[in-house]
Amino acid sequence: MTKVIKHQFFFPHPTEMVWEYLTKPELMEQWLMKNDFQPILGLDFQFRTNPIPSLDFDGIFYCKVLEIVPFKKLSYSWKSGSGEGEITLDSVVVWKLQPTDKGTELFLEHSGFAKKENLDFHNGLSHGWLEKFDKLAALLNTVQHAGTNP
Amino acid sequence: MLLYEDSLSINSLADNFDMSRPAVSKHIKILYNAGFISIRDIGRERYCTLKKDGFEELQAWISHFDKFWASKLKKLETLLSSKLSN
Repeated sequence: MTKVIKHQFFFPHPTEMVWEYLTKPELMEQWLMKNDFQPILGLDFQFRTNPIPSLDFDGIFYCKVLEIVPFKKLSYSWKSGSGEGEITLDSVVVWKLQPTDKGTELFLEHSGFAKKENLDFHNGLSHGWLEKFDKLAALLNTVQHAGTNP
Repeated sequence: MLLYEDSLSINSLADNFDMSRPAVSKHIKILYNAGFISIRDIGRERYCTLKKDGFEELQAWISHFDKFWASKLKKLETLLSSKLSN
């Protein structure tokens, strides 16, 4: 149950400039969404927009910087839910930039779509995503399982 | 199709196919890993259910994002073009 969204755009601008629009929060806001992004590997940040009730979406995309190669590649996780930090959709956004003679070729890949069923590390616990990630890290470090069985 | 309206045990599903039970199990495992069905243990039997809602909801998201990015990138293009002419 996976699908990849791909878009490719050419901009007659230098790669450095396109990169700025992908990585500076005040510039990103002008075309994408309000955000508190910073180009720091592992940083948790959010995009904020209007809620979409039909998609059970509260208006916040919870993201984490997964990869940064300056002027070449940027990737972040892209998660959302119906509210209170509960995550029901998981995906990954990858940007790639390629300089050409006349400007910059920008590639977008939005993929890894997964539903909540695949995400629940602990059934019945509705901790926020951030806590879940900490929890996963803790789980990977130790075999100890703090949850209770249903 | 068999699972469209009801959940069935792996054994009763297997009765519908001219395949060995292990072969059916293998197919079910693939569908399960792909997220198309869910499996629940009831007593000694394992029951399979089609995950219709999940599939449709995900498709709705994917089509939403497809349009979302197309329009956002257009916006970026407009923004950058205005920079170029300045």
